[in-house]
Order: sequence, then C-alpha cells, then structure tokens
Amino acid sequence: MDTFILILTTGIGLGALYFLVACGLTLIYGIMGVLNFAHGTFLTVGAFCGVWAATHLFDGTTTLGYFLSLLVGGLGGGLFALLMEQLVIVRLYERHMDQALVTVGVALFVGAILSGWFSNDLRLLPSPPWFTDTFELGKSYLPKDRFVYFGVSISLLILLLALLKFTRIGLIIRAGVENRNMVSALGINVRLAFSTVFFLGGLAAGISGVLIGTYQGGVSPLMGGSYLIYGFIVVVIGGMGSLPGTALSALIIGVLRQFVNYYAPGLGDFVIILILAGVLLFRPQGLLGKVSS
Amino acid sequence: MTLRWKYSKHFLALLVAYFAVAPLLGFGFLKGPGMQQTFAVAFLWGALALTYDLLFGFTGLLSFGHALFFASGVYMTTIFVNRLEVNIIIAGFLAVLGTMLIAVIVGAFSLRTTGITFAMVTLAFGELGRVFIERNFWNLSQGDNGLPINAELLPQFLIGVLNTKFLYWLALLVLITVYISVWWLTETSAGRVFAALRDNELRVSVIGLKPSRFKLLSFTISAALASICGGAMAIVAGSASPRFATADVTIALLLMVILGGTVSRWGAVLGGMIYSIASTRLQDLNQAELVGKLPKIISGPLSEPTFILGLIFILIVMFAPGGLSGAYYRARFKYLNRNTK
Repeated sequence: MDTFILILTTGIGLGALYFLVACGLTLIYGIMGVLNFAHGTFLTVGAFCGVWAATHLFDGTTTLGYFLSLLVGGLGGGLFALLMEQLVIVRLYERHMDQALVTVGVALFVGAILSGWFSNDLRLLPSPPWFTDTFELGKSYLPKDRFVYFGVSISLLILLLALLKFTRIGLIIRAGVENRNMVSALGINVRLAFSTVFFLGGLAAGISGVLIGTYQGGVSPLMGGSYLIYGFIVVVIGGMGSLPGTALSALIIGVLRQFVNYYAPGLGDFVIILILAGVLLFRPQGLLGKVSS
Repeated sequence: MTLRWKYSKHFLALLVAYFAVAPLLGFGFLKGPGMQQTFAVAFLWGALALTYDLLFGFTGLLSFGHALFFASGVYMTTIFVNRLEVNIIIAGFLAVLGTMLIAVIVGAFSLRTTGITFAMVTLAFGELGRVFIERNFWNLSQGDNGLPINAELLPQFLIGVLNTKFLYWLALLVLITVYISVWWLTETSAGRVFAALRDNELRVSVIGLKPSRFKLLSFTISAALASICGGAMAIVAGSASPRFATADVTIALLLMVILGGTVSRWGAVLGGMIYSIASTRLQDLNQAELVGKLPKIISGPLSEPTFILGLIFILIVMFAPGGLSGAYYRARFKYLNRNTK
C-alpha cells in the first residue's frame, strides 16, 4: 500500500509535467491545425532561461527565487514562441504542411545553436533544498517536488480554462478551435488569437522545461526532444484541441507509466503505445476530442 | 507548373556508368577508400531518402516513423547473419519479410488516422522501435553498445579497407535497385493512385477505390525498400546501432527530401547524397582553422551540421518550395518558354 501511494504520487507528478508540455501543443493544433515540432525547443529555451535566472538573477535555492525563475523560464519560452510565430509561421499562412515542416527546421536550427553554445552535458538547476524532502503520509514518504509539479499544473490548467471561458480573447480562441474560417469571416482578428495561443503554449512549455530540469537534476539542449514525443502521445490520446482531455490523458499516461515501470521495468513505454493504438482503434478522435466536421 | 519533364535517360545512364567504374580508374576523387566509403554511405542515404519520398512526396503521407523500418532492416540483417549464420542474401531477404510484417501491423493502426495525427502516431511507433532496441530485450540488440555484424560470416570480399570498393558497389547497386523499383512503381496504375491520394483523397474514394488499401501498399513497399537500405547499411557501417532508429533519422530524411524536392525521384536521391556528404564534411569544418578563430558564440553552432542544414531547410520551405529539383524544373520551364512571351 505504501509503495502504491508513492508510485501514484510520482505518477501524478510526471503526468503534471506531461500536461504542461502537451497543453500548448493541443491549443496550437486546435486553433491553427499546426503540428508544432518546435515545441520541444520552447521547452529547452524556457529551461535555459530558468537556469540563467536561478543562478544570475535570483537565488534559485530559495523558494521565492525558484518560483520567480520558473516565471522567467515560462516568459522565455513564451516570447520565443511568439518570435517564431511572428517571424516564420505567419508568413506561411494557410500552408499547414509547410508550417509543420518549418517548425522541424526551427527545432533543428535552434537546437544546433543551443548545443553549440552550451554543450550537451546536463547543466545544474538550483532548487530549494526542501524539494528533495519527503512528506509523510501514513507509512509512505512522498517526495515534495512532485506536489510542486502538480500544483503548478493545476494552477495553470485553471488559469487557462478561466482565460478561455471568461475573456474575450478566450472566446475567440474557443471559437477558432471550433471553426476557424467562420471566425475570420465574421471580421474578428484571428491573428491576435493565434499569437496569444503561441505565447501561452510557449509559456507552459517553458515552465515545464524548468520543472523537468528540476525533475531530471539539470537541463540540456537535448531534453526537449524526448518530452515532445510524450506530449504528442498525450495530445492524441486526449483528443486534439481539448484541454480537459489533455489533462486527463496526461494524468493517465503519467500514472500508468510509473506503475508499469515499477512492476515490469522498461515496459512502461510499450504499454503507453499500446494504449495509443487502442484509442486510435476504438476512439480515433481521442478521449474527449470532438469529431471534426 | 504540374508539368513533369522526362529527364535525359542518356545523361542518367552516363552518370551511373561513371560512378560504377570510378573506383577502377585510378584517378578522380573516388580512387581512395575514404571517399569510396563516404559515397557508399551517401548512396544508401540517397536510396533511403527515395523510399521516404515514395511515402511523403508521391503518396502524401507525412510519416515520422520511417526510421523504424530502416533500423529494422539494419538489425534484422545483422541478427540473422550473426545468430542463424545464414548467407547475407538470405539474411537480407528475411529482414525484408520481417520488416514488411512490422509495416503492415504499424500501418494498419496508424493509417486509421490522417494528416498530422498520422505523423504523431508514426512518430510514437518509431520511438517504440528505438526504445525496444535501446532496452536490449532478450539480449537481441545489445542496447546502446550497438551490434557489430560478424565479419567472419560475411563474404570475404566485403571485408577490409582495400575492399572498400566492393562496399561502394554494393551501395550503388542498392541505390539503383531502389531507384528502378520506385520508378517502376510510380509509373504503374497503383502508383497513379498513390499520386491521386496525395492530391485528392476524396475523389479517389468516390471513384470506388479504397484509399486505405493503397496507402497500406505504399507504406509497406516503402518500408520494404527502406529495410533493403538498412541491410546494406549494416554491412557498410559494419554494425547496427540505436542511432539508426532515432526520430532524428526520419527528420533527416524529411530534410533530404525537402532539400532535393518532392516532385521528382532524382531530387530525393540528390538531396539524400548532399545531406549525407554535407553532414560529414561540415563536421570537418569544425576542425578547420578559420572556424577555430571565430568567437565561440559563432563557431559553436557552426560545428553542428544541423545549424546550416536547418537554416537551409527553413529557407527552402519558406521561399523555394520544390527544393533543388523544383528550382531546376522552373528554370527549364522558363528556358523552354523563352520565345513564347
């Protein structure tokens, strides 16, 4: 039972990280129909901004310093995403395949710059000492950092949902996910919504980059790529464009991966792919996805 | 601009003839084993890029899992040679059959989706293959260490530096085989359906043809051809390693095809060869003195081949769709119509 709770907690923590990676992907895909291969780069850029802030700007070992660095990491990812959208994506308006392809190019190009500047070794990310402490629940000792991941994800999910639900730009984004052409036909500036979505997606990815840096014990230019793939899987299972679906599937994938890896080491990734195959067979639109018209 | 010019067959025949006899001439850049090895690898990447072009350029399926079939060719050939101790030809043949089986299963699942979802799903399957190889199940793949092909079980003329020219010919033979197969396939009626699927899937199904069957056919054939390239790569590289199975391979293939242009077969081959040679050469640039003198902020990224290749890729997608062969056809079109204006 103790191990059960422990694995459940670490699984939820991992799921929270997956959600942060995937929520931007699903929003960007939902509104623009663009598969963003540069999302892993947003994550990496955010992580490096976070490391820079935590060592030079603030003291990352204090709680306040860490969370401020987290914010800087998020802003870094968000601004980078905005820059990419303005410089590259906007110019390929309505050329969806080319937009997807060009994000691959951006991922390679920026990845090469990051690898050239900072070597591919892990770079240490300062974090408050209490992150590695444990929290006693019954007989199990739960690492406290997992609660941080979960808390940050939940807050972001609530913030995003509130933004989508209660603001005008959120309304435009939701309408854009539903039917992009209709929104622009009504004379509403969809471009602004596009930029907002890219910024928010980059923000979430940047925050996840810093948190993953803490989770892995450091950041490296290669970290984005591996998490991007989990992000894709989570998005497909949850339903492309659906934020609650993404949260649900991220949770399922994170918990399941930890459980399977505990009881059958190394098989976690296989089970995830099997679930992906199952979902595609019986529910191709994903768990909470809508059938596209 | 949908004209598809028939290129000069004589020129192509001459080029193949030159490459075939080049190692025997004793002069020219292909006389040494180093360049022969570089070109052997480049031929195989060219052939692999063509198999990807069959899928992406001709059928319009953006797959991110193509590395799976290449790696499956590399590993199965190596394992069959090492474990079953069979002749390399038989091992390669078995590897192609095995890869086709994997392709049918993967295709049956992933082809239920289309477009971008298909890209994601194939990426996931490709990663599954990489994880399978890296985790070293049943001690088959030896994980990160890679799996050397047992040289004693190969025909002896394929071993040793002095025999590099035989590896070169093997790679050239594979390239020609793949080229002719794709050529023939794209000219058959099935190939026409592939192109129709790329252009308008709805119309194909309205005619009464089943798109899923033709997609699966294209998927499986391109996987089979990729595994042939893989088998040859196992011999040319001397060992199977997990780097053949990474998503980076598929992304490199995408780059090659975009670089060369999706509209033509020769474009993909050219793109693959240029990419392969450039990525070896650009790494040498790192050691060059000129680059060493530059500040690290510039020289660092320059030493990464994907810096320049990624930039070229972005520029081609944004400003020159059609790549090298597209540019050639545009120039030729202009030239042929110079008097009609």
